[in-house]
Parts: sequence; C-alpha cells; structure tokens
Amino acid sequence: MLEVSSLNAGYGRVKVLDDVSLTIKRGEMVALLGANNAGKSTLIHCLSGLVPPTSGSMSLDGTDFTGWPPHRIVELGISQVPEGRLIFPQMTIRENLLLGGINRRALPDRQKSTDYVLDLFPRLSERIDQMAGTLSGGEQQMLAIGRGLVAQPKLLILDEPSLGLSPLMVQLIFRVLRQLHEAGLTILLVEQNLNLALAYASRCYVLERGSMVLNGLSSDVKNDPRTRKAYLGL
Amino acid sequence: MDDILVQALIQGLLIGATYGFIALGLGIIYSVSGVINFSHGDFVTLGMFLCYSLWSVLSLDPYISIAITLPVFIVIGAVLYRYLIQPIVGVHMLMIIQLTLGVSFILQNGLLMIFGGQPLRTPSAFEAKLLFVTDSVILRLTLVVAFVVSLILACVLYWLLNRTDFGRSVRAIHQNPRAAALMGINVTAVRTITFAAGFGILAIAAGLLLPGTPAHPGMGLRYTVITLMVIILGGMTNFFGIVLGGFLIGVSEAIGTVYVSGIMGMMMPYAIFVLMLLFRPQGILRRAS
Repeated sequence: MLEVSSLNAGYGRVKVLDDVSLTIKRGEMVALLGANNAGKSTLIHCLSGLVPPTSGSMSLDGTDFTGWPPHRIVELGISQVPEGRLIFPQMTIRENLLLGGINRRALPDRQKSTDYVLDLFPRLSERIDQMAGTLSGGEQQMLAIGRGLVAQPKLLILDEPSLGLSPLMVQLIFRVLRQLHEAGLTILLVEQNLNLALAYASRCYVLERGSMVLNGLSSDVKNDPRTRKAYLGL
Repeated sequence: MDDILVQALIQGLLIGATYGFIALGLGIIYSVSGVINFSHGDFVTLGMFLCYSLWSVLSLDPYISIAITLPVFIVIGAVLYRYLIQPIVGVHMLMIIQLTLGVSFILQNGLLMIFGGQPLRTPSAFEAKLLFVTDSVILRLTLVVAFVVSLILACVLYWLLNRTDFGRSVRAIHQNPRAAALMGINVTAVRTITFAAGFGILAIAAGLLLPGTPAHPGMGLRYTVITLMVIILGGMTNFFGIVLGGFLIGVSEAIGTVYVSGIMGMMMPYAIFVLMLLFRPQGILRRAS
C-alpha cells in the first residue's frame, strides 16, 4: 500500500535520510523505531509533504506522491497525528474535529466520521464545545488522533503518541489504536518507547543515523542486538 | 451635553466604523501570514483615485465604481501576495516592512505623477444630503452610509471567520500553520485569498470614504498610521478589539478637531494612543481569539 524507495532528504547541506526504503501493506500496524535524531521525524515529514525529499520516491496504492504539497497528500489518504499534538488551542473540540475533515475526500462524510470519533473517545463528546487549549495532555492526544481520523485516512501516521502522557493514559490511547488496527486501519507508529511499540506493532523498522538498519517482525527485532545498538549507540 | 459634543461623538463613531473596517483588513492579513502591510493606507488612496478616474471618464458615482474597483483590488491583493510578498516571507520581518514601504512610495509618487498634487473632489449623488438628528446636530448622509456598510460587512466577516470552513482554515493557520497543512488545508491558497479579501476591503472603504473627502496622493500614510493604531489598540487579531479600536480613534479624532485648535487637535488620536499604550498595553480587550 505504502511504498517508499531509496529516499534521501536533508536540511541544506545536512543529510538526514540516506537511501531509506519502507513498505507497509494494507491493514498492517508498523512501528518506526530509532534513537533521537535518527531521522524518524524527517521521514514522516517527507511522507506528509512537510519536507521535500532530495531524491527517491513515495507512493500510496500505486499513486506516486513524491514532491506533493501536504494538503494533496492528506486528500490522497495519508494523515499525520503530529508530535506534540498541535491541536488548535483557541478552537473548540468540535471545530478541531471539523478541521480534521476539511479535505475534499473526507468532507462529504464529515458528520459520520465525527460521530465515529466521538464514540471512540466519549471524553471528547462530553467536552465538545470546550476550548481545546483547556484539555489535559491525554485528552489533547485523543483529540489529535480523532482529528486525524475524521480525515478518513487510508494510512494514519502517529508521531510519538505516548510522549508526556501518564501510563494510564498511554494504555488507554494504545488500546484505541489496537481497536482501530483491528477494524482494518493501516497505521505507521513512530515511538520512542521501544517496549510499547514492539508490543502493539506487528512489524518494525529501525532507523539509525538516517539509515534503515533493521526491519522485521516485532518479536525478531526485539531480540536482535542491533536494536539495542541503534537505541543506545552501543 | 451640548450639541457640539454630541455632533463630534456621533461623527467620530460614524467614521470610526470605517477605520475599524479598514483595520480588520490589515488584521486578517496579519493573522494568517504575519505580514504587516505598510502600504495599506496607500491602497485606500489608490482606490479613491480609481473612483475619481471612473467619475471623470465615465461619470460614475463612487458608490457604483466600487463594483469595478473591488474585483481590481482583489486581483491586486492576490498578485501582490503571490509574487512579491510570499517569496520573501520567512526571510526576515524587516524585508517585508521594506517591501511594503517601497510599494507605498511607488503608489504615492505614481499617483502624484499622474494626478498632480492638487486635492481632487469626486462628487456623489448623496454628497449634499444631510440628516438632522436634532436642529443643531447635522450629519452628512455619506458618513452614515459608510458607517452602516462598514458595520454590516464587519458582521459578514465575523460570520465568515467563525461559521465557515474557510474562516476555520484562516484561524487554524493563524494558530499553527504546520498543523493546518496537516489537516489538508492549502495554506498558500488561503493566505492568497485572505490577502485578496483584505484588499477588497480597501476598495470598498475607499469608495465609502471618497464622497466629501478630497483625494490627495499623500494621504495614504495617515490611513496606514490610523490603521496601525487601531489594530495595536485592538490587540492585532482580536476582532471586537479592532472594531472598538476604530471607534476609539474615530471619536478621539473628531473630539480633537472640535475642541482643540488646529494642529494640536489633529494630534489627539495619537495622544490617546500613547496613553492607552502606557496604561493598557495589552490592548482594549484582553486577547481572546
């Protein structure tokens, strides 16, 4: 479904991604792992069109979207739940969700997908007309995921969804992710928390200093010494 | 209250609505792109001279000319953003200030070359009409028209910003352009349309202000300064603050002209502005949106 091949990217003269390839099949939940500065964020920013790759190609369901602007990629079917959530604090939850479904493909069914999200996260439903900036961190993460879902993505990318949340909230969020995965959604999960990612994703990719050093089933990746090396620099 | 004060207050409120309206144009442009357009007032002047030309060639009433100047200004706004301003956004704030100041000088001197330095009057059908509020409180009908149209359009703008997907996109870009792009909003297109709309406001304001106001190529700076004062008082992107700021500046200008003689009277709005900054630097209303 998602096909990334030989992707190179960087900022100015600094090269961040070096010949990165990655494949995700429909319905899979794949984790992207790596230490800080390994290039995880750059890779998904390429996928969302926020950073233009210098070479290589990306395609979704056979449509090459290399070099497309972000709004067209969302319309194509890739939705990113960004690191730090980036909800719109001075808007209500309702407005945030409406904005999630603003792309042309999602717009006709926006009401239905909003209802679906509110079923998924009853807490949002209770606070629907509250300013998003007044929500707790966990609730904001729910909103960010909900907003991503209203876009009716074919592929949902989550950038560090557990960051800064209490263990209880992390559990709650990941339970919902599993539920979404079981309902057939394709998910790419970027996660610092190694054990969490390995527990929920079926397959993993490991980035180290801009190169894909390892990929395979979570159980294999878990026991591979190279994973530890990529994380701890040992 | 004596009649002169009532007259000044009403006149200030009437003109203040249009000041507020012009400032809303600057405010929405600032809110989506962070650009402060220092040629804002000069485009009001340009709009007035376009109306003047349409009157002198086709004898069109300024109110009718708006139907022609509005689309022209919308195109100017879009082109200006897309080809002059957008390429340097993010380079340095000073570059944008210099660029828009440059546009201001080109407009002022271009108009001076074409029309000369004489103030030009453009007659309108409503110009001579007067409204008697009481026997001694008299208002020009054109001011009332400008007031009503400005307020109605401000309401339309408010509705657009708060109740439509386009307005939500504008506010989303203001709060976080990157997140807005991730929602699937075409950020460049929304910014371009907002610029176009902001310039459209100027074309309308120019047509509203023109009847009874002699147009002069150098008058734009005054409108720019008034507009800047209004949005600073109002809190840059606070809708109601800006509308209130317009009224405050309009009233202080009117009262200053009536009660304080000559040049000192014209300084009144600036004095009020400085006092407000000293004692209420957060703006008239607390930043809400």
